[in-house]
Amino acid sequence: MARLRVGPLERAERRLGYALLAPALLLLLAVVLYPIATLLWTSTQQLHLAQPWLEGFVGLENYARAMDDPRFWSALGVTLIYVGVTVPGAILCGLGLALLANLPFRVKWPVRLGLLLPWALPLVFAGLIFRWFFEYEQGVVNAVLRLFGAAPLRWLSTPDLAFISTSTAIVWKSSSFVALVLLAGLQAIPSSLYEAAAVDGASAWQRFRHVTLPMLRPAIVVALIFRTITAIQTFDIPYAMTGGGPGHSTETLAMYVHRTTIDVLDFGYGSALAALMFLLSLALTSLYIRQTRRDEGTG
Amino acid sequence: MHTSNRIGRRAALAGLAGAAVASSARAQAPVSLRLFTGGQQRPDVMRRILDVFQERNPGIRAEVEVGGATSDQQQQYLNTVLASRDSALDVVLIDVIRPAQWAAARWAEPLDAYLGAERDAIMARYLPAYREANVVGGRVMALPYFADAQFLYFRRDLLAKHQVAPPKTWDELSAGAQKILAAEAAANPSLRGFATAGAPIEGTVCSFLVPLWGMGGALTDAQGKLALDPAQAQRALGLWADLRAKNVTPANLAEIATDRIRVDMQAGNLIFAMQWGYAWNRFQNDADSQVKDRIGVVPLPSFAGGTPATCVGGWQLAVSAFSKNKEAAVKLVRFLSSLEVSKMQAIAASHLPVFPEVYEDAEVLAANPWFRDARPVVLGARARPVTPRYAEVSEAIRTSMNGFLAGTRTADQALADMTQRLTPVLR
Repeated sequence: MARLRVGPLERAERRLGYALLAPALLLLLAVVLYPIATLLWTSTQQLHLAQPWLEGFVGLENYARAMDDPRFWSALGVTLIYVGVTVPGAILCGLGLALLANLPFRVKWPVRLGLLLPWALPLVFAGLIFRWFFEYEQGVVNAVLRLFGAAPLRWLSTPDLAFISTSTAIVWKSSSFVALVLLAGLQAIPSSLYEAAAVDGASAWQRFRHVTLPMLRPAIVVALIFRTITAIQTFDIPYAMTGGGPGHSTETLAMYVHRTTIDVLDFGYGSALAALMFLLSLALTSLYIRQTRRDEGTG
Repeated sequence: MHTSNRIGRRAALAGLAGAAVASSARAQAPVSLRLFTGGQQRPDVMRRILDVFQERNPGIRAEVEVGGATSDQQQQYLNTVLASRDSALDVVLIDVIRPAQWAAARWAEPLDAYLGAERDAIMARYLPAYREANVVGGRVMALPYFADAQFLYFRRDLLAKHQVAPPKTWDELSAGAQKILAAEAAANPSLRGFATAGAPIEGTVCSFLVPLWGMGGALTDAQGKLALDPAQAQRALGLWADLRAKNVTPANLAEIATDRIRVDMQAGNLIFAMQWGYAWNRFQNDADSQVKDRIGVVPLPSFAGGTPATCVGGWQLAVSAFSKNKEAAVKLVRFLSSLEVSKMQAIAASHLPVFPEVYEDAEVLAANPWFRDARPVVLGARARPVTPRYAEVSEAIRTSMNGFLAGTRTADQALADMTQRLTPVLR
């Protein structure tokens, strides 16, 4: 398959190809590369709007500051726990929902609508709705607890409970996206495979374990990648529900970046934090991608 | 036919343009101003005041843009607008803690040149706290719209029923609240004793400073350096720990923001509250108020043998440095910071006046009988630290306090966190 010679016609074609691609490439440079480059440049600056007289280049000082900042490590820890809890949570719930939606209902639209609705809802709205669910005096969760004679719980101002309530909201919100991806995967599995398995006497569990899951694997990996990236960026729901509280116990990296840049106006340090968050995203997603490459290699 | 039609249209347009030029020579072209205010600062009353302004200044239209419910939410939005040098806003209502930050970031247009020779005379008429808060580095960065301080709101009817006098000390408040709670629990299980802001918001800074000042302590020295005495601060926090241990404060105090206190009290579910001036008008006039004519307002309690303390609050009018209509914007700010408007607000929204004489106005007192005793409280109120890095100061205090009030950090830990984070900022 080696290309021996490139004729003049082909070269002209290729040039035309590049010319046609150029607008898209330029747009990409403008909206992706330029902001990233600016971010990295800003992260090497002392740029604090409340202290404009100190502005200037500081090299990697902002990064060194992050390494010594207990709040950065706390936010990183919280973010990783959110990833560890809400990614598997959303995949499991999403898989359940997808299997449910894949059942041969006669009328499909109510199920599909139910799947789409949480996904279509803006994140902050979901956060506000769940905040009222878990509200201490008037929330429905505590109302149920009281109904059974139990003491109401401070869902939003006890660290563990605040984590549980925000994670619940995140899983609810993100499962539907996972379910949509998995549902598409499920519908691509040929029914002949199930028929063959049934003929061989496979039980329902065996059919799920040995037909559905392996066939669904690519869709699951796609859902995992998307869900992990959004989990690393977790912001809106904890922001609306707890504001990062009590103390900093539910403050994620994205919230700390927002607080540093938008509240405190320390753009230099905030950019360094954002760059570190970007690195984390890159590291986790490259893990997945390497995993899928290996799958393709062996499979 | 077609061409001649087009020519005709052009002629008509030219005629219109000519007419516009002619009319602008007579009256100035209308200027459109956009004013930003928080939802808690009564945008409805602001609108009514702006209508008066528009009537007197036919060449200027003023629109209201309403922002977030808390001071910090509003500032978050303003930070994005102003950091990007957006000219959409002309006049912004800012919290009393902001002028230093706005001056450092060069977001506010200094007003000295516009006030001219009258500058000192204009500033001299305001209460001293507002004269000081709005002048940064010798320049007038904003003009005061209304004053504020925290007061003790109480349920007059419940206190009378159980023969509890309005408390002068925190101990009296605690004892009174416990007595009333014990007697009323069966009738209203939702009733709580006392609330102050505890969520990680700006108001919670005052929940820290009020008992600290009441103990005779201070956050900063005269040079603005951190001067927190840990022992004193710990005793100050002891007040909230004690009220919580006695079930006087709601269990979810760490979730409570300023306006939530107003809502709970308005629904008849609070006996005492540490609250700003605006709440009075809502209790008296809101359609859903369960406590009309049942609320009393007195200065905050003190510690036994101490003096009561309270935070300076209030809202200031800044002209955006990026406004394209600064002349008109200053004109509007001058009107909104006038004695006449101060009185209008006092009557329509129980906004505390920035002019000392308005506290004695008969119409104002008819609407707010408690204003008679409010002036000494406003005069004695203390300012939160004045620094361009106030956002960091506030954040350190409110999040540490929030952790303490939630019970996740001990007073020691909370104060250690706070000190560690304040030391590099307040130096």
